Amino acid sequence: MGLQTGTKFSLAGHGLLVGWVAFGAWLPSEPLPLPVQEVAVISAEEFARLSQQIQAPEITETPSSLTPPETSLAPPDLPLRPETRPDTSIPDATAEPVVDAPVPVLPEPEPEPEVADTLPEPVTPPETLPESPAIVPSQPVPELVRPAERVAPVPVEAPEEEVAIGDLVQPEVNPDEGALSEQEVQEATAPEAASDRIVTEANESDEAEPAPPVTAPLTSVRPKTRPRRPAPAEVAETTPAAPQEDQSSAIEDALAAAIAGGGEVAAPEPSGPPLTVGEKDALRVSVSKCWNVGSLSTEALKTTVEVAVSLDPDGRPKTSTIRMMSSTGGSTNAAKQAYEAARRAIIRCGAKGFSLPSEKYDHWRDIVMTFNPEKMRIK
Amino acid sequence: MRRNLTALFASLLLATAPLLTIGSAAEAQNGPLRIEITDGVIEPLPYAVPSFLPETPAAAELANQITRVIAEDLSGTGLFREIPATAHISTVSDFNAPVRFADWKAVNAQALITGAVSVNGKQLTVRFRGYDIFADNELGAGLQFSGTTDGWRRMAHKVADAIYSRITGESGYFDSRVVFVSETGPKNDRRKRLAIMDYDGAGVQYLTNSAALVLAPRFSPTGDRVLYTSYESGFPQIHVLDVGKVQRRVLSADKGIMSFAPRFAPDGNTVVYSQAEGGNTDLYTMDIATGARKRLTSAPSIETAPSYSPDGSQIVFESDRSGTPQLYVMAASGGEARRVSFGKGRYGTPVWSPRGDLIAFTKQSKGRFHIGVMRLDGSEERLLTASFLDEGPSWSPNGRVIMFTRETQGANGRALLYSVDILGRNLKPVRTPDGASDPAWSPLQK
Repeated sequence: MGLQTGTKFSLAGHGLLVGWVAFGAWLPSEPLPLPVQEVAVISAEEFARLSQQIQAPEITETPSSLTPPETSLAPPDLPLRPETRPDTSIPDATAEPVVDAPVPVLPEPEPEPEVADTLPEPVTPPETLPESPAIVPSQPVPELVRPAERVAPVPVEAPEEEVAIGDLVQPEVNPDEGALSEQEVQEATAPEAASDRIVTEANESDEAEPAPPVTAPLTSVRPKTRPRRPAPAEVAETTPAAPQEDQSSAIEDALAAAIAGGGEVAAPEPSGPPLTVGEKDALRVSVSKCWNVGSLSTEALKTTVEVAVSLDPDGRPKTSTIRMMSSTGGSTNAAKQAYEAARRAIIRCGAKGFSLPSEKYDHWRDIVMTFNPEKMRIK
Repeated sequence: MRRNLTALFASLLLATAPLLTIGSAAEAQNGPLRIEITDGVIEPLPYAVPSFLPETPAAAELANQITRVIAEDLSGTGLFREIPATAHISTVSDFNAPVRFADWKAVNAQALITGAVSVNGKQLTVRFRGYDIFADNELGAGLQFSGTTDGWRRMAHKVADAIYSRITGESGYFDSRVVFVSETGPKNDRRKRLAIMDYDGAGVQYLTNSAALVLAPRFSPTGDRVLYTSYESGFPQIHVLDVGKVQRRVLSADKGIMSFAPRFAPDGNTVVYSQAEGGNTDLYTMDIATGARKRLTSAPSIETAPSYSPDGSQIVFESDRSGTPQLYVMAASGGEARRVSFGKGRYGTPVWSPRGDLIAFTKQSKGRFHIGVMRLDGSEERLLTASFLDEGPSWSPNGRVIMFTRETQGANGRALLYSVDILGRNLKPVRTPDGASDPAWSPLQK
């Protein structure tokens, strides 16, 4: 009970205090005592760190469009500062002793002041070149996340990362790298670091080297599928040899093998997403365009043949790998004619390469096409 | 409430997860990609046949003529399309020189035929090779034919037959002849006589004069004789004619008995025909050597137009025993017949395919005539033509083409020969000097 009473008093007291603070802050909008105190606690360097960390996310957004943010951000910084300064700095009494000049600058443009922090010494640049050279490079560089580190731990950390970045992006960074010379760069090259950043950005548009680190995680998933491919290669190597030697004998052998039921091929079991129905249809249509059954005998028109073929990565059939796997519905001679028509279709329409998704090459490297002329007999 | 919904959603996801996994696994690809192609194109296969090389000065003209006949044979089938010489990139200057396949691929030639012709006195020699352009290989081994210069057309046909056979896988029909009834004069005074020609209408020769009406000539299995019906005696009688000697004799000489629609048995020794006696028409067989006859049918209806199966074991014929003319099949020795045509209309003049798998026929339906084919059990009937009057089909030696008579309507109507692929394609007239009817295709010449 006593506790409750105590808490009540405490709550009431805090409520009054909060209310006072709130009313004090809202009613007299001009004085704003609280913000002044906070400002006084924070130092310029700390703000610089905080502001850079805040900027980091901004940087990640900007990479795509570098120029727009520069122009948009730069101008607001300069004009806003003068406007805010008179309002806040004057009324606060407690904050007076702390710092006059820095306080007004830091509080309002919290995210941006970082630039001001680094720049205050070379204050001149913002004044004269706020828009293009000085500000623009500094902001985009932090976008890569690395610049933030450079700014704060100026001497040690920055050079290492800078070297790495420079390697990727520019030749201009070479001097820094060659040195391994974090020390040298650190002090004397601080301005150079800024220039490095600028250069890298410019090169990004030319070279696209910064892109790789971004895409790396995305592509890391795909490589898993590719390693498995030895099986099909072996099959392709064994079969092609025969056809090159003698086409007619190869056909006869294939027919004999087909009749004997020995036409099965080891399944390579490709991984990854298979071809879509649309992609298969596209392949089917492209082969159909060249499958001319007009010169086939009536018996061959009753013969269905399965033809295997291996394709190059560019979609072109390897002629030597074309072989008949099996045939049904006709004599050996009819199967041979049906196979020849199918073979011509594959070679003719594949001369320029079948339109197939290259990233799914594992799925269409080896194809078995069944040519069924049943519908063609009616036409 | 919200927690419950969330839990329910999560449980549903967990429950359906295995199903989704199964579905994706079902789509997973095992082994090579498999696709089925059921739609193709039906187009003439493009080929090139550069003019054969004359190896002797006297062979220059014949070389060109032989080349042209080969091209006409192949292109005339509708299965092949010649690439004109003006489109050729490569020229053939040496019969034994290697072929530049790339040049022929560039003009989309899928087959190439090269040849050389030499003439020594009256001795003619034709050599040729065929190439599968997209296989970068020869179409079988090269061949050489020798003969007299008079037979240059036959030699050209033989070359075309060889090429046709190598590409299509079935035998050709170019080195064959057709015996038919040549018709001249108006409809009310038409004069008919037997004539024989190459399958393409070349080299027409007349076997009889036009003094008597002749009908329905039929080749013997060896092509050396022809059966036909003549009204020379005033009523129809069967005659047999030796094509080489152009000698004929009456096969059935019984006065007062009409015999007609004869056809050779596959063995060439027996003839099956119709005989009208006492107002009834039935089927009979006759041994050509002895004249011995045997009656095959004894129904009160009309049985006619018999045709042997290739193996000689069965006979297909026309009968109106069901009320309308229909097709029936019975054993070659006679006996019970089974009806094979059940479509609407009248069926007649059945002819068994040389392959033995189809029966060609004439069908009259809804005032129009058709040439059609059907399977031996009457299934898969396919009408190939339709006109005012189509009749009398005859099979090509390879069973791929049917030649028939088409007569145009009106007082000035004229009978001509036409041919059509058994798939109904490549319908075209056959060149004849006059009107023509009742074609009969010979077997391939030897």
